[in-house]
Amino acid sequence: MEQIVELKNVTKVIKGRTIIDDISFQVNKGEVFGFLGPNGAGKTTTIRMIVGLMDMTKGDILIGGASIKTDFEEAVRHIGAIVENPEMYKFLTGYQNLIHYARMTTGITKEKIAEIIELVGLTDRINDKVKTYSLGMRQRLGLAQCLLHDPQVLILDEPTNGLDPAGIREIRDYVRRLAREKNMAVIVSSHLLSEMEMMCDRIGIIQDGRLVDVQQIKEFIQGSGTAFELEVIPSKQALAVLQNHYPEARITSYRDGVTIELRKLEIPGLVKILVEEGFQIFGIKESGKTLEDRFLEVTGEKEGAIRG
Amino acid sequence: MVNLIKNEWMKIFKRPGTYVMIALLIIITSTIALFYKSQENTNNGSVDANWEQTLKEENTALDGQMRQSQSKIERDYYKKQIAINEYRIEHHIPAREKYNVWTFVKDASTLITLAGLFTIIVAAGIVASEFSWGTIKLLLIRPINRMKILLSKYVTVLLYALFMIGILFVFSSILGAILFGFPDHPQPYLNYDNGRVTEQNIVIHLFIYYGLSSISMVMLVTMAFMISTVFRNSSLAIGLSLFLLFTGEQFTSLLALKFSWAKYILFANTDLMQYIEGTPMLEGMTMPFSILMLLFYFAVFLFLSFYVFKKRDVAA
Repeated sequence: MEQIVELKNVTKVIKGRTIIDDISFQVNKGEVFGFLGPNGAGKTTTIRMIVGLMDMTKGDILIGGASIKTDFEEAVRHIGAIVENPEMYKFLTGYQNLIHYARMTTGITKEKIAEIIELVGLTDRINDKVKTYSLGMRQRLGLAQCLLHDPQVLILDEPTNGLDPAGIREIRDYVRRLAREKNMAVIVSSHLLSEMEMMCDRIGIIQDGRLVDVQQIKEFIQGSGTAFELEVIPSKQALAVLQNHYPEARITSYRDGVTIELRKLEIPGLVKILVEEGFQIFGIKESGKTLEDRFLEVTGEKEGAIRG
Repeated sequence: MVNLIKNEWMKIFKRPGTYVMIALLIIITSTIALFYKSQENTNNGSVDANWEQTLKEENTALDGQMRQSQSKIERDYYKKQIAINEYRIEHHIPAREKYNVWTFVKDASTLITLAGLFTIIVAAGIVASEFSWGTIKLLLIRPINRMKILLSKYVTVLLYALFMIGILFVFSSILGAILFGFPDHPQPYLNYDNGRVTEQNIVIHLFIYYGLSSISMVMLVTMAFMISTVFRNSSLAIGLSLFLLFTGEQFTSLLALKFSWAKYILFANTDLMQYIEGTPMLEGMTMPFSILMLLFYFAVFLFLSFYVFKKRDVAA
């Protein structure tokens, strides 16, 4: 895969406080990269540095090979972004807003604008003033604004903030589609874990300005093997028996039975043992860990995270 | 660059406030015109038949005052008045003429302050509003240098100033022509320069007069623009600039009575008409000195705006 965004040892110090501490990562074309962390961890600051709204103290950021520091115009040409809320000129119509941004990049035709409006489904309301738009429509107009110049990198900072479930789903579908069909690299930041789980290919976890971990989302969730939930009676004895047979595995008891981390291949053997010992088995369920569990494990911060 | 200015222009003219400003300017100009019109009927500026005699008497009086005067500025002023009066007598140009379109346009020039006020409001908002709306974030992530974006905003402000003054000039000309009519023999304006009196076409004189009167407006507008950019606060920019627009000159002339360094204050220099029609605020002040001071302040204001805007971390 071809990489399009590269952060190299990026550090940001504001008034003697290190906000971002030596962050490096790459994002590839066609990939949705999630940027995850509790509030105040430095997500938005990092994104502002990527799009050149903020200067960095140390390090460099390359977009399509051009440095945002020394070659701003060339680098930012590849980027379409919504930073925080999609703030538009409320006294202009949706169309005038798009014309406004279209004039700032060369080579955007009227047809292109019409095509984008069609894509985000605003055709009916595009000539209304933005102040009459709902939040969802503003979000879509924001998306239209960043797609005008066919960027290779799409950056969305907290794109689902304040949207209702239908709006969230809509954004998620757009993002996946753009990455797949247009081979765009998408960087999404969020503190909503469930959201990231459904949207992203890869995530980077940021905490206190440091990049804690970057992993494929599948590996990340299943990072410590798969767990199985066994509904079994009597569960206390079952726990003791299993601990005897699988001294290596992590085994815990839960309300109706036992949870054991084990490879799938070993499950039939396990069932046989339990049956022979006279236990009654009512069900076996594979339970993939959620992103939230892993997130809390990685950040070790039980209270900070909020589940969407 | 043209596109950027188009954008800014669109953002100004899609807001109702702009039309309120234009309407106010037109209404106030009309009110003043009607006021002068009603005055004209009661005191029909009939030209004094004995005006030559009056001027001669005035000159004798001025001459007496000049001899008693201690200050060089005062003596220069009397000398100039006498020279102009003599020129009038010699060339048969009455000092008072019937109120006509050109006298009205000149009187309407006091409303340049109003045009200035409106332009200050626009200048104060043009950068600060982008921050308060949050749109600055979308504006600065385009493949355009920040300097260019700020420059387009400043140029737009200047165009708006020109637009307002243009409205004032054109509208007061039309209104003046309708209400007061054109003079039969347009009188030239008399320039006095180093003991010599020269004639100048009245329309050309009015252009120069409007141009020079706009200088203090441009300076204050630039200051408002600077405050707007540096502090991202349009109320502060409007408040401070308007306060100085109305009090700056008076305050400076008070200071000028006591301190000679007052001549370095911006407002001692904004009125270039003082070198043409009146007398300088302080001794030793000349037109080139004032122009230099104005350029200095201008450069400082613009440098501050551009420097801060370029360096700013946008975290609104």
